[in-house]
Amino acid sequence: MTKNASPLRRFLTYGALVLFAVVFLYPFFIQIATSFKSDADAANSAISLIPNPFSGQAWSTLFGGGSKSVAFPTWLKNSVVIALIVTVARVFFDSLAGYALSRLRFKGRGFVFAALLAVMAVPGVALLIPKFLMVNYLGIYDTYTAMILPLIVDAAGVFIMKQFFDSVPVSIEEAARMDGASIFRTFWSVVLPMARPALITLTILSFQGSWNEFSHFLVVTKGTPEHQTLVTGLASLTSGQLGAGTQYPLKLTAALLTTIPVAVLFFSLQRYFIRGANEGGVKG
Amino acid sequence: MNARPLRKGAFLAIAASGALALTACGGGGFNNNNSGTQPSKTGPVKLTVMIGSSGDAETSAVKAAAAAWAAKSGNTVEVIAAQDLGQQLGQAFASSAPPDLFYTDASRIGTYAKAGNLFAYGDQVKDAGFVDSLVKAFTYDGKFYCAPKDSSTLALQINTGLWTKAGLTDADIPKDWAGLEAVAKKLTSGTVTGLVIGNDINRSGAFMRQAGGWVVNSSGAMSATDAGNLQGLQEVQKLMKDGVLKFNTQTTPSTGWGGEAFGKQLAAMTIEGNWIAGGMKDYPDVKYKVVELPAGPAGKGTLMFTNCWGIAAKSPNQAAAVDLVKSLITPEQQMKFADAFGVMPSTTEGLKQFAAKFPDSAAFVAGAEYGTGPVNLAGLDDVINKFNSQLATLTGTAGDPAAWLADLQKNGTAALAG
Amino acid sequence: MSDISDAAVPAVDRPHDSRASRTSARRTARFGGGLRGPEGIMGWLFVSPLVLILGLFLVIPIAMALWVSLTNWNGSANPFGGGQGAEFVGIKNYSDLFFKDGLTRANFMQSISNTFWYVIAVVPLQTVISLALALLVNAKFLKARSFFRTAFYFPSVTSSIAISTVFLFLFGGGVINGFLKLIGVTGPNWFNDDRGLVHLLFNAVGVDNPSWGKAEIFGRSLWDWLSGPSVAMSVIIILVVWTTSGTFMLMFIASLQDLPVEVDEAAALDGTTNRQRLRYVTIPMIKPTIFLVLTLGLIGTWQVFDQIYVMGGGNPNGTTLSPAYLSYKQSFANFKYGSGAAMAFVVFAIIIVLTSVQRWVLTDKDDRKPLFGRRRKGASA
Repeated sequence: MTKNASPLRRFLTYGALVLFAVVFLYPFFIQIATSFKSDADAANSAISLIPNPFSGQAWSTLFGGGSKSVAFPTWLKNSVVIALIVTVARVFFDSLAGYALSRLRFKGRGFVFAALLAVMAVPGVALLIPKFLMVNYLGIYDTYTAMILPLIVDAAGVFIMKQFFDSVPVSIEEAARMDGASIFRTFWSVVLPMARPALITLTILSFQGSWNEFSHFLVVTKGTPEHQTLVTGLASLTSGQLGAGTQYPLKLTAALLTTIPVAVLFFSLQRYFIRGANEGGVKG
Repeated sequence: MNARPLRKGAFLAIAASGALALTACGGGGFNNNNSGTQPSKTGPVKLTVMIGSSGDAETSAVKAAAAAWAAKSGNTVEVIAAQDLGQQLGQAFASSAPPDLFYTDASRIGTYAKAGNLFAYGDQVKDAGFVDSLVKAFTYDGKFYCAPKDSSTLALQINTGLWTKAGLTDADIPKDWAGLEAVAKKLTSGTVTGLVIGNDINRSGAFMRQAGGWVVNSSGAMSATDAGNLQGLQEVQKLMKDGVLKFNTQTTPSTGWGGEAFGKQLAAMTIEGNWIAGGMKDYPDVKYKVVELPAGPAGKGTLMFTNCWGIAAKSPNQAAAVDLVKSLITPEQQMKFADAFGVMPSTTEGLKQFAAKFPDSAAFVAGAEYGTGPVNLAGLDDVINKFNSQLATLTGTAGDPAAWLADLQKNGTAALAG
Repeated sequence: MSDISDAAVPAVDRPHDSRASRTSARRTARFGGGLRGPEGIMGWLFVSPLVLILGLFLVIPIAMALWVSLTNWNGSANPFGGGQGAEFVGIKNYSDLFFKDGLTRANFMQSISNTFWYVIAVVPLQTVISLALALLVNAKFLKARSFFRTAFYFPSVTSSIAISTVFLFLFGGGVINGFLKLIGVTGPNWFNDDRGLVHLLFNAVGVDNPSWGKAEIFGRSLWDWLSGPSVAMSVIIILVVWTTSGTFMLMFIASLQDLPVEVDEAAALDGTTNRQRLRYVTIPMIKPTIFLVLTLGLIGTWQVFDQIYVMGGGNPNGTTLSPAYLSYKQSFANFKYGSGAAMAFVVFAIIIVLTSVQRWVLTDKDDRKPLFGRRRKGASA
């Protein structure tokens, strides 16, 4: 751990890191390579990172060419629309609730917070059937409403925001409030701008969460392309029924396109991602 | 205090709550009607048809047929091609608005009918002249539930190029298991396996039939432990041990179904149904012919697959749906489907026309004479799934078919009792 | 179900949390004074979306599902009507899972057994690997630190479905076996191999289905319980360890960076070896993070669903069934919603019990506190 570690130690450390890096990154490279392979090439030289021959077949199939019908453009549209709506709504409602739980004195606050903690402990596995039941009961089964509404607030996000507001000195708000600003005004124009780092983190977590969401969409929709996202569409493509064939280039291309938006977000906002994971995990 | 932002904040919160309250008021997505007959709406209706499509050819053909009916009757029809029909129907049945009309696999009839999901309209269409075995496949608990859409049987597909290359002639076309073994051995070389089949009972079951066995007997009781079943599976295992038969999942690289292995020439022969015609469109260079499955010790045997046009018990448009079905089961329409994606008509009249028009598919038509339909008893599909999951692990040296059949017998008996 | 990065979120905390909130509460109270009324209204308005959405799509639905788990609802009738197809059957769905011989119990017990082995493999592996990665990335002389950190964390942010698709290709499409072939090993047919790893070990020493293994526990023989994860399940284990290690690595890095430098230096001056320092200084000091990682791992692994859905749905031979997946199938494919809901609640209970036991076992006596108190304490140490 000291700065002047022995050369052997350095060598071993770098060796191990490079080895791990290859293990962690190779699947993504093979995924990109395979998306440009023909079916035969993908089968015969599976481990090669260079497509031979180079084939755009999988890509053109996804975007409307070829014989297999894949409603890819619809999936993409649904994913984008839903992730955007959910993200905006989540960031707003989560910070609203987080602020109230942190700063506002109201009767029942302790109860709401305790309930929030309890709710966070509920494993998602127990929620598949319940969500289906409620969505059905409300008569919104297989609608965008059913896909979006249950996701627009999440307990963990509220918790993150509450913890953030708890850590911010209250003096600036006090000044604003003394000047006669209303509670919402103070929240909107004084508190939120200060909360920018936390809001970015929350935005990332929300986007990533809703973009990658699977089981919720699975149980609240019929699974017709009309209401499929990239993730649920990819799942049906991958776990497809007998007769579909392996079509690895097609599947891997769809998987790649599902990964790209989050990857772009990840590489451009990396430091916030890392912070998000840390806030999510241990401490800020 | 500045009131505007307060109102704005309050408004947002109230709007959000209000939206929820409104949706809550629209509750009651479950209805209590479980009788299976709904008051039919009058006037033009919109029907939703959900199909499990084999590909674009099938989807477009069904869409065209539905559009023709819609134009004639003044109604509208939306055709949805499901990705996973079984799962999607399951959820849809529990919701308030299942599709009006949908493909129903014969193996699911019992489960759907028992849960009260199907409207039994068989009486309204029984004069269409359906093949008897198909009517039986869609009869559960004495009720003929729905009109058979089409049928397919299993036959043996042979890659004629590889066949000739191995020095085989028409005289070598296998008539029995010994013949199958012989040609499979000759055809196996290099990356090519003699015979590649799907890894579930829907393929290996043909061997069970040829040895005189089957999962259930004619009186609807489990008969998985009958000697024929074991004999059939042992034949599969024996061929595997010789290295001349593989499941599609055992090829290198593994394939999605027998047809894929066949198309990629990893297999010289496969056992698939009428749908092979559509599947082979992806491999136009592979020339092949279709012959009847070889007979086993108990004679000829094959499996038959069929879907019917199911109508939802909860559908408010049952009368219109029945009318649509009637237009879909005419021999002319069924021949159009046959043209488009290879399936055989479900009526004797249609079958006659099919045999005349597609002599290459004679083996499939012949199979319809003696084919065995799927097990359609309620609750058994889960049991069969378990068996399939075991069967998929069969190799030449590993796997215990006798134990699996015993499990099948035990689980099936319990399921039928419960 | 959520992958681990979701599961990680709840544990957010800040070192000065409790102090800060107390202070702010007091101050708010002071200057709030007369504004208490509006604050009361605004407070509820601000939390109303939270309360409504979580109430409507979480709390009430769980109550509904509890009710359904006590009925034999078949998905057709009104589940709350009590009529035909939705009769109240008491705890039958629960007791059948444990005591009624048949396919449902066999499948359920197999799914529990599978998941047990899965957890046994995943939780220690992901903890050790993520800690190792964190220690490596944290090496003081390291250049390109952020490159490595990024590379290891990236799999964690991608969709579980997309990653599963890639792994289907890696293991089913011949990539891994292609590499094994290069070193002269014939790889197994990964997704069709139902042999249990522990069984294989037993077989290696000549033991196969011995007489002591015949005893049945909930209808499943002891020998079957001891199978270990199947070869097919191992692929899912590798996948999950690979995707979750990055998240946990970041948690470890954060806590490593928080270690007081003086302690480390003092230990170094004492002439301790690196290994001794790791064992006697570093590990004890990051113990709270280790607890956290273990707990999150335990909660996450019991819920495995997405990967199973894509990678074979229980095949081969039921060895990749998980209770979450089985519950889904039992409900939506077999129309036994009551039984499916009961399975979900049993898993719920298992998770709660296991995490409580774990907390209790791994916690110092004087620290023993209820669920959330513990987590916060551990996180902020």
